This record gives sequence, C-alpha cells and structure tokens, in this order.
Amino acid sequence: MSKEKGRILLIEDEQDMVEAVRIRLEANGFEVIAASDGPEGLSKARTVMPDLVILDVMLPKMDGFKVCRMLKFDEKFAKIPIIMFTARTQQADIARGKEMGADAYVTKPFKSEELLAKIRELLG
Amino acid sequence: MSERNNGQLLVIHDIKDKILWAIKVRYAIVILSVAIMCFAFYNRLDIGLSLVLVPFVAAYNIAAHIIYRSRKIYYLWQIIILRSVFQVFDVLAITFLVYITGGLESPYWFLYLVLIVISGFGAYSYAAFSVFMIAIFSAIFYLGLLLLTYQGVIPTYGPGFMLSPQELLRSIFNKAVFTTVSFFLFAATIYYFTKLIGEQRQQLSQKNKELLGALSELKDLDRLKDEFISNASHELRTPLSVIRENVSLVSDGIVGSVSEKQRKLLMSSQANVDRLAHILDNMLDISKIESRMLALNRQHADLCEVAAKAIELLGKKAQDKKMSVETRFPGRVVAWFDPDQIMRVFINLLDNAIKFTREGGAVMVGVEVSPREVRGYVRDDGVGIAGEDRARIFDRFIRIDADGMVGRRGAGLGLSICKGIIEMHNGRVWVESDLGKGSRFVFALPRVEVNE
Repeated sequence: MSKEKGRILLIEDEQDMVEAVRIRLEANGFEVIAASDGPEGLSKARTVMPDLVILDVMLPKMDGFKVCRMLKFDEKFAKIPIIMFTARTQQADIARGKEMGADAYVTKPFKSEELLAKIRELLG
Repeated sequence: MSERNNGQLLVIHDIKDKILWAIKVRYAIVILSVAIMCFAFYNRLDIGLSLVLVPFVAAYNIAAHIIYRSRKIYYLWQIIILRSVFQVFDVLAITFLVYITGGLESPYWFLYLVLIVISGFGAYSYAAFSVFMIAIFSAIFYLGLLLLTYQGVIPTYGPGFMLSPQELLRSIFNKAVFTTVSFFLFAATIYYFTKLIGEQRQQLSQKNKELLGALSELKDLDRLKDEFISNASHELRTPLSVIRENVSLVSDGIVGSVSEKQRKLLMSSQANVDRLAHILDNMLDISKIESRMLALNRQHADLCEVAAKAIELLGKKAQDKKMSVETRFPGRVVAWFDPDQIMRVFINLLDNAIKFTREGGAVMVGVEVSPREVRGYVRDDGVGIAGEDRARIFDRFIRIDADGMVGRRGAGLGLSICKGIIEMHNGRVWVESDLGKGSRFVFALPRVEVNE
C-alpha cells in the first residue's frame, strides 16, 4: 500500500474527517498527505506534488475557492485534478467551484464509493 | 438625528417649491398688469400710480428670485423668514393697490383675505404663525392708510370723500372693526387647519417611520432565521459525514473484521445517517424556497424527459417492492422550467407513491397537455387520502397516518417542497384521491409558446 495508485493531498480542517478519509483512501492504496488550512495546503502542494487534491470549501484563513484558484492559476499545478469537498449543496457554490477550475464536487455527507469513483475517474 | 435633519430638508425643499410658485405667480401678475396698463394707455385712460406699483412688485419679486436661487439657504428658519418678508411686501403692494383704487372705497381689501389664505397653504405647522403675521400687517397697513388719508398726511387718491368728517370717521371706524375682525377670523381658521394638517402629517410620517423600522427588523429576523437554518444544517453535516464515514469504514471491514450481526447494525446506522442528511437537505430547501433564495434556472425543456430521468433514478426502489412503473407520455412536451427542480418534484412524488403503495402495486407517471397548461402527474393505487387531509397534505411537517402502512419515513417536507417549487414556477399542485382507491398528484405549469 505505498504510492502505486497515487498521492492525494487532503486539505480539510476537521481532524476527524481527515482521519476517516485517510483510512479509507489508504485502504484503497492511495498515499494521503493532509493539510489543515489553505496556506498549509498550498505549501504542501509545492513540496509533495500530489496527483490529486481534495479540498474543503470552508477552511480557516483562506477558503477553498481561493486555494482552488491559486492552484489552477499556477502552471505547475494546473493539471492536478481538484475535488471540492464541502457541506454545502447550493447550486451557486457548485457553479462557483467549477468556475474556479474544480474538476469535481462531492457534498457531505458523502458515500465513500462516490468519492472513490470520482478519484479513480480523475486519475484515469 | 440625521433622520430629523432629513425630514427638515424635505420641508425646506417643499417650502422652497412653494416659494418658487409664488414667485412665478407674481411674475404672471406683473406681466398681466403691464398688459392691462398698455391697454389703458392705448385707450388714453389714466394709469397714474400703477406705474409705481407694478415696478415695485416686479422689483421685490426679482429680489426674491435671486435670493431663492443663491443656494445660501440651509436652515428652515432662514426660509421661513424669507417667505414672511416677501409676504409683508405683498401686504404692502395690496395696500398700495387699495390706496390707488380709492382707499376706503376700494373693493380690493378682500385681497388681504386671499393673502392670508395663501400664506396658510404650504405653511407647515412650523410657519403657521405667519397667517397671524399677515393678518396683523394687513390690519396695520390698511388702518394706517385710512387714518393717514383721513388726517391728510397723504393725499386722497381717486374719487374724493363725499362725506362729512363725522360720517367719514364713523365709516372708517366701521370698516376698521369689520376688516380687522375678518382678518383675524380668517387667520385663526387657517391657522387651525394648518396646524391640524401639519400635526396629522407629522403623525403619519412618524407612523410610517415606525412601520418601516418594524419591517426592516422583520426582514433582518427572517434573514437571521434563514442564515441560522442554513448554518445549522451545514454545521450538522460535517459531524454527520464523519459518523457516516467511520461507520462505513468499520462495516466495510477495513479496520478489522466484523460479524454479520455487527455489520447489520452498522448498516442500519449508516442508513439512518443518510436519512438525517436527507431531512437536513429538505429543511434547508424549505428555508430557501420560503425566503425566495432558491434561484430557478429556467429553460425550455421536455417534461417527459425529466419524468423519465426521475423514474430511472427511483427504478431500483420500485423493483425492491416489486412494483411496476407505467408511463403515459404524449411525445415531446416542452415548457419553460428548471429541469433540476421539476425533476425533484417528480422524484418526491414518485418516492411518496412508491412508499405508500403496497408491495406488488402499480404506479403511473404521466404528462398531459391542456390548452393553457402542461401537467405532470404521479398516480398510485395505494390507500388514498381522505377529503379533509387533501388540503393539509402540502403543509409543512404534515404526515397523514393511514392504516396498514408501515415503514413510512420522512419529516413531511417532501410535498411542501414540491408545492414551493411549483409555485415559484407560477404553477399549481393538487391531489385527486378516493380513500382506498389510490391517489393522483398533479402539478400544472403555465404553457409557453415554443417556436421550434
């Protein structure tokens, strides 16, 4: 269970959520690196070069939309797929996420099969 | 404080408007007088002292106009004093007119009364005293004129007095009493009404202010309520997703083996978390629909296609209950609506129909076209709904209890969400039902002409 399937950066402030997702993803053969806020997420993205980013919308210091835009703006990271991960279901939020360049959207509470399916789809 | 200033500013603007009108009226009088004088001059009539009167009126009117346009008037008291000064000039002009038209004999003293009435108009209760001021000045000027001409200080103009000094004095005295009393009676009447109207106006604006305040307070409260519901439901979602994920990690055997019995319990927890999340979704939607925050994304779309998608999504649920889902689609039925929202209506209605129909029953989903509407409906052969319940069924949190139905779940929000969505589309929704024979839920959307 090393990194044969891919390295995922999980930017999420809720520690319990991070643990739950980490266990699930690691069980499915992904390597998980966690960051608990926007700036930390950005700096970790630079150091570890993940294959995919899972990004919570409501983050302390810098919201997920902004992080998403900054990642997509940077040529080095633009090709990394981003899954926006949030409690909100508003159409407007989903539209905004897509506008900022998010590749997929998963609403909480999510079904793990759904999240895994999206990850597999985006990692090809 | 600022609101008070604002109110005063409005009063100033209003009084300024009326002063402008007075200025225009004076110009009109001057022009008319000049025309009359020209006519008189042409016919060799005596113009006399009106050659002085007309330029006098024109002069102070121009002065009033200049001051009015100088924009140096900031305070209410300034404008009220200005207005009063020019009204005193008006009194003076009328006195002059009375003098040149015969003094005691002149019929033009009624102009004083006219001026009193006019000064009452548009004088807010702030300036209501001005009617008394006009009355006092009228009395002083008029009586002064009569006495001065009687004393011979100023020469009599026009027809001379044909009376003996004794009779003349009595006549002057009578006129003096009569005019003074009538001036003050008029002034008092006008003052009373001006005050009354002013007070009513103030009360009204006070009430308006209170009402507006209450309205904005209510709006704030409503917004807070919506925000609260929205936040609460978001806040609840994160722990819910942690619970769900943890439970599913355990039940999937990822963190250690679980017995079949344990797995069953965990699956049930998971299903209940989903149910809770669904109720949260619905509550959030209801609050959005009620606060009109739900933005519709309307487009020309095929109602049958939307219905078919809803059936596809719920197909498994129907299969699980061994139910058949029939369809009645008359081909393409295009209307102007938000496909996502209308799909939710179909899903909610179909979900209910499946829920309330016994195993092996039949459900029908259909679309109809009438001259004015397009309709979608879902029919079941379930227990039906009693007449008294039919009206309530679309209300929030209403769940109708029927015998023999077990395992029904929900917070009673589905139908009120349907109703909200349909009403936002300017449509209507209703139920046709006979107890024991099933029911048919119908919604109608206004028909639009489509050029295809």
